[in-house]
Amino acid sequence: MPAFQALAMWMAIDADRLRADFPVLKSSGTIYFDSACTTLKPRAVIEAEASYYNEMGACAGRSHHSLAKKTEEKFESSRERIARFAGAKKEQLVFTKNTTEALNLVVRSLDYSQRKKIITTPLEHHSLLLPIMEQQRRGVARMGMLGVLPDGSIDEGSLSIIDRNTALVAIHHTTNTTGMRAPLEKIVKAAHDAGALVLVDGAQGVPHSRTDFGKLGADFLAFSGHKMCGPTGIGCLLGRKEAFEKLDTFIVGGETIETVSLEKVVWKSAPKRFEAGIQNYAGAIGLAAACDYLSRVGMENIERHEHGMAGKLIEAIKSIPGSAIYGSPDPSRRSALVSFSLKGVAPHQVALMADSLAKIALRSGVFCAQVGMQALGAPKEGAVRASLYLYNTDEEVRTFAEAMQKIARL
Amino acid sequence: MLCFVALAVFLFLSIFSAKYRPLARRALDCVAKKATLRPCDTGLDEEIKAASLSGIMKASPGAAAFANRHFEAFSLFFTLIFFLSLFFAAQGLYNFVIYGNCNGFEGGFCIYSGIQNELLLKAPSSLQGVSAGNPNANITVIEFGCYTCPYTKAAEPDVLRLISEYGNRIYYVYKAFPLPTHPYSREAAIAALCADDEGKYWEYRAALFDRQQDVMQNGTAALQGIARSLNLTAFGSCYSSGKHNDQLQKSTDECTASGIYGTPTFFVNGKAFAGPGAVNDAGKEVKGLLGH
Repeated sequence: MPAFQALAMWMAIDADRLRADFPVLKSSGTIYFDSACTTLKPRAVIEAEASYYNEMGACAGRSHHSLAKKTEEKFESSRERIARFAGAKKEQLVFTKNTTEALNLVVRSLDYSQRKKIITTPLEHHSLLLPIMEQQRRGVARMGMLGVLPDGSIDEGSLSIIDRNTALVAIHHTTNTTGMRAPLEKIVKAAHDAGALVLVDGAQGVPHSRTDFGKLGADFLAFSGHKMCGPTGIGCLLGRKEAFEKLDTFIVGGETIETVSLEKVVWKSAPKRFEAGIQNYAGAIGLAAACDYLSRVGMENIERHEHGMAGKLIEAIKSIPGSAIYGSPDPSRRSALVSFSLKGVAPHQVALMADSLAKIALRSGVFCAQVGMQALGAPKEGAVRASLYLYNTDEEVRTFAEAMQKIARL
Repeated sequence: MLCFVALAVFLFLSIFSAKYRPLARRALDCVAKKATLRPCDTGLDEEIKAASLSGIMKASPGAAAFANRHFEAFSLFFTLIFFLSLFFAAQGLYNFVIYGNCNGFEGGFCIYSGIQNELLLKAPSSLQGVSAGNPNANITVIEFGCYTCPYTKAAEPDVLRLISEYGNRIYYVYKAFPLPTHPYSREAAIAALCADDEGKYWEYRAALFDRQQDVMQNGTAALQGIARSLNLTAFGSCYSSGKHNDQLQKSTDECTASGIYGTPTFFVNGKAFAGPGAVNDAGKEVKGLLGH
């Protein structure tokens, strides 16, 4: 056996062993193919989140008693571990409630007085598209669209619309509809060449591949804890210091200021400037535990596992007569996420029957990306989405394929 | 379409378990939307369809495909069946409340009566009536019947078999319960008592059931015709005298007091049997009591 093959096998994920870390898999017996919506949580994360309530329960950065200090230490060390996981510094990480809030923070707080355009794509999740559309509706900014090719990839020829009037290029890392990545390197370069900032929606990217915020070159990167084995209710906005300084205040309140009088407010610098009020300490601690968990498994291993699963998933779907896959069928261009339809069976029906027949959890509809699904040629009722993660196995894909074969014969 | 059925089913189940209440609310929402010609967007119909097809698919994929292709037709069919059932159940309940039997005046088998038989029917206190068998027997069979009732007529062969089979081991008593909905039922009961006066009750009774349609259509003329054929000489004066009116009224009062709602109704040693199979059930009871 060649040495590289042996190394790959050694490094491969043992999904069967990992599954024992996820209590829900054992208690529900579900084949969970809905990780793009939210992932399951390993026991380590659940325990870490509970540890805040069991061992601390206080607020950070305000009081000076021992429980408060312990909370502060845990909260800030969590910030550091999460930032490190994403290749950033702790000062670059703002805690938010989720990706949606992080994206809103940037789109709604940026100054558009000098540059009016926000460039995005039709493939974006509503969390990004709607704040931009709202800015346009209010007359604050104008929205411009990059082109999308029939295979779901970005038309790089359309990058030329990024010009000196562009304030922000807001784009996905990986879409939640096709699992395909945007050509971020080229987009970041085009944006920076034009003097525009870049906001990356990393909700479907950060959980599935190694992220290095520094190397990415983007000005902002948003992601959620719950899509990467972390708790719900916690998200992050990574930002470069100079980029944060271009943002106005968003939600203001306790701990966002240095001093305040009725005449003048002196705001803190990021990240505290954007973290108003008591924070989700338990969520931050849980997310840090999730980052540690994923690091122990190895993000490269997860990415490799997902590519392998994507190939099997696509082959399984392609073998069903009358099936259609949205986006490129090339697994090397995807995470383990496939949106598809079966001829003659409504997407909701497919998902409901998969659950009834084989306890397979799928998502159906337009996946909070109605415009994107239309751009991909999906019908009004959308499609079915199977999205896998580190805990999914070949056996589950086989069961999925059998169930889909049966449903397709309806 | 299935939302209508689901609403009724889940509302009923909600009485017993709170877990069905959210489903009942969703079904209600769906029904309200359908009733106002809006699309049902609760997803409940899709869930019902998926659950149904999955269940069928586990048994037969081919049948599931067929059910899927014609699901709307099946839904419509079951919804219609549901509404028809609902209508007939309500009609039966109305009849039961008003007439004491879900079939109304006609009487006959009634599902609600099964409960009532046990709870409400009381054995008559007297053994007065036309009788057969041994008055000292340990087993008493009382029949409340109506000579112009088709169900009483239908039971008659089994009644006669019961009497002939068990002979002196039982005591059979017939109490007339002339139902007002059956034409000439009262007149027929009086005529039978007049025939009894001349010792030809059983012959007259057999003729009454044989010529039930004639009696129901022609009344007194038919009754007199039967009397002539049996050579009943005092029938005319008896029939017109009203001499058996009190006896018949007493029998009718006993029926009312016993809670009888339809004929025939049997009591075997006080245990009530009503409905189309009542005579057979009564026969089984007799057999059981005799240790056969």
